[in-house]
Amino acid sequence: MIVHPTRTFLVSLFRLGALGLSVTDTLLYFVGVPAAAVLVIAGLAAIGGRKGGGGDKRYRPGRPFNFTPVWFLGRPEQLADSAGTALAAGAQAPALTSRKQQQAGREAPAGGTGGASDRW
Amino acid sequence: MTVGEKQAETGTAVPPQVLDGPFSTRQLLRIDEALRLADQGTGLVFSVYVGHFDEDESIRTYTERLHRQLAEPDKSVLIAVSPNQRQLEIVTGKYARKRIPDTYAKLAALSMVASFGGGDLAGGIIQGLDQLATHAGKG
Repeated sequence: MIVHPTRTFLVSLFRLGALGLSVTDTLLYFVGVPAAAVLVIAGLAAIGGRKGGGGDKRYRPGRPFNFTPVWFLGRPEQLADSAGTALAAGAQAPALTSRKQQQAGREAPAGGTGGASDRW
Repeated sequence: MTVGEKQAETGTAVPPQVLDGPFSTRQLLRIDEALRLADQGTGLVFSVYVGHFDEDESIRTYTERLHRQLAEPDKSVLIAVSPNQRQLEIVTGKYARKRIPDTYAKLAALSMVASFGGGDLAGGIIQGLDQLATHAGKG
């Protein structure tokens, strides 16, 4: 098969360098492949972050922090209101909702309590 | 029993409400352990509240009302923390106050506040529990 000399010249112009890659191949290997790798890693990181990697749960002073109020007791049976009896069934430290807290403990204040308070 | 097991026991896909709280499972377990050790070591009843303080009344009144909801307020110690209001209250009952004088409660509060200021809620609570329990001594 006879190849026209002009065509050989044109082909050799598009296959420069030691690897002899065309411009399209160069773009594919050196831009396309790294871009695909970056996208895959970014995608995996986004999925991992959304599953609760702790990003939202982190408390930073001065920034709003949304969470359900919790109340822990070493011995759940020590709580006086009805919520306490329900929680006593599980051995896990209990958590109360703010609604349950409002239901109980509105009697007269008991004197003689002490303690301390502070701000940060 | 762990939090994860509790979820399996109830048989629902909804996670326990405590996991919507400010702590991870690991932190919850550490707080649970610290509370248990403090209770066992001192004979007092330690309790930790993390949430918003009602602004209708003074913060002290509100936390004292929370304290009264405990079965034995006299021998109870309530550590109440409001991360958004950046406020910490320690409430000791009549009997607990004799074991933990207000000056020592203030010392514990100071070290807790130092941790909270650095963004470490669980660490501060555990440290405070340890300090209060150590000072209260054996019951």
